[in-house]
Amino acid sequence: MSDNQTPATQADSAIDNATEHTTHFGFKQVDKGQKASLVANVFDSVAAKYDVMNDFMSMGVHRLWKRFTIDCSGVRAGNRVLDIAGGTGDLTAKFSRLVGPTGRVTLADINLSMLKVGRDKLRDRGLVSNIDYVQADAEALPFPDNHFDVVTMAFGLRNVTEKQNALNSIFRVLKPGGRLLVLEFSKPTSEQLSKLYDMYSFHILPKMGQLVANDAESYQYLAESIRMHPDQETLKGMFEQAGFEQCDYQNLTGGIVALHRGYKF
Amino acid sequence: MPASALVTATVESALNKLLSLDEGSKKRLKALNGARLTAFVSPLPYGITLSFSDRVDVLSEQGSFEDAVASLGAKDCCIKTSLQTLPELKETSQLTRLIQQKALFLEGELNIAQQVSALFQQLDIDIEELLAQKTNDVIAHQTVKTVKTVHEKSMSALASMAKVFGNAVVEEKQLAAHKLAVMHFSDEVNALRDRAESADARLRRLEEKFK
Repeated sequence: MSDNQTPATQADSAIDNATEHTTHFGFKQVDKGQKASLVANVFDSVAAKYDVMNDFMSMGVHRLWKRFTIDCSGVRAGNRVLDIAGGTGDLTAKFSRLVGPTGRVTLADINLSMLKVGRDKLRDRGLVSNIDYVQADAEALPFPDNHFDVVTMAFGLRNVTEKQNALNSIFRVLKPGGRLLVLEFSKPTSEQLSKLYDMYSFHILPKMGQLVANDAESYQYLAESIRMHPDQETLKGMFEQAGFEQCDYQNLTGGIVALHRGYKF
Repeated sequence: MPASALVTATVESALNKLLSLDEGSKKRLKALNGARLTAFVSPLPYGITLSFSDRVDVLSEQGSFEDAVASLGAKDCCIKTSLQTLPELKETSQLTRLIQQKALFLEGELNIAQQVSALFQQLDIDIEELLAQKTNDVIAHQTVKTVKTVHEKSMSALASMAKVFGNAVVEEKQLAAHKLAVMHFSDEVNALRDRAESADARLRRLEEKFK
């Protein structure tokens, strides 16, 4: 980040510079075809230390955000659950126990490194009987129509190139009556918190990444990608555009993270 | 930060830790595999669900008791009660009375609620043995013995203090009414209320008659 520009102005300028064939990768503009491989590089780099870094960066609070997501999922025994961008399987582990032997959980991630870390972690915990692992692009999910009772996506949507395509694809695979929950970084509701959060994300976070994962760049991307992600109301509108009904969101930790929920009827 | 998630995380860790300290709990837990018990206990702001597998998962229920009942499965039980009524649930013989008094609402498999109650009530944790693993037998034995003695003496002292205090307040200083006097007063208030209601009904009938 340059010294004379705030994250907000950099984000605005990145949006202004976007064209039909480009998209943002953090604050940079890249060709749409390039973004997926650039994101893949980031996650290949951080996969091994992903859990440690999540705990370290959020001081463990990410576990509470994910737990709240599960509480809101209404998952019951026998349900089919899709955990997109499930990464190292935090949500999948709990879903696996909640759906029981008559249900199934599909852990999908576009990144093979993350999927392997998740699979190893869940197998080490003895969770094997009702979990499938699928390398899949959220924009073109390889599942039948009306297949899942619940779909969740935690901290994954902001990395997708065409977010609206992903939401449309999720809508297609959800059963009528099913629900989508998207947990994602969002816009802090207070100005003071926003400033503090900017300072933390752009000055402290990359240094923590350098220290723990020996990778400052990926964590600089994380901070930038969060600023480029649609705010609460915009994302809610995208849910509605995809066809979801009764859409709402709940701000968590002052809006640093928001949980969006929508139903397919 | 979602406070409910912090509460359920703490409860979940505590319950699983307790169960792990009792080898015998595994068998009781196995009998509950796949079952869910949801409890709405007023004045707590949300319900709590215990979901059983090889461990206990604790979830907060974001919907109402009616929502939870609507999605009950074959191995689910849902109860609604209050904090004051909770201790009475230990006695299974009291359940019918509590349901009739509307102090307890119970939907789904009653058997699950009873099994969950047994799972925790029958916990048999050998604290002395656990302590001995960290220290040694003598220290563990003495510590547990001392704690037991202190607990017994404290309870006995508390009971005796409560008795002395009760006597002082009721008999000597006459600051509070005797239990029998309170009961008598309550009976009189009830009788007065009945008479007032009956007079009210009679007045309404007379009003209608002379309209």
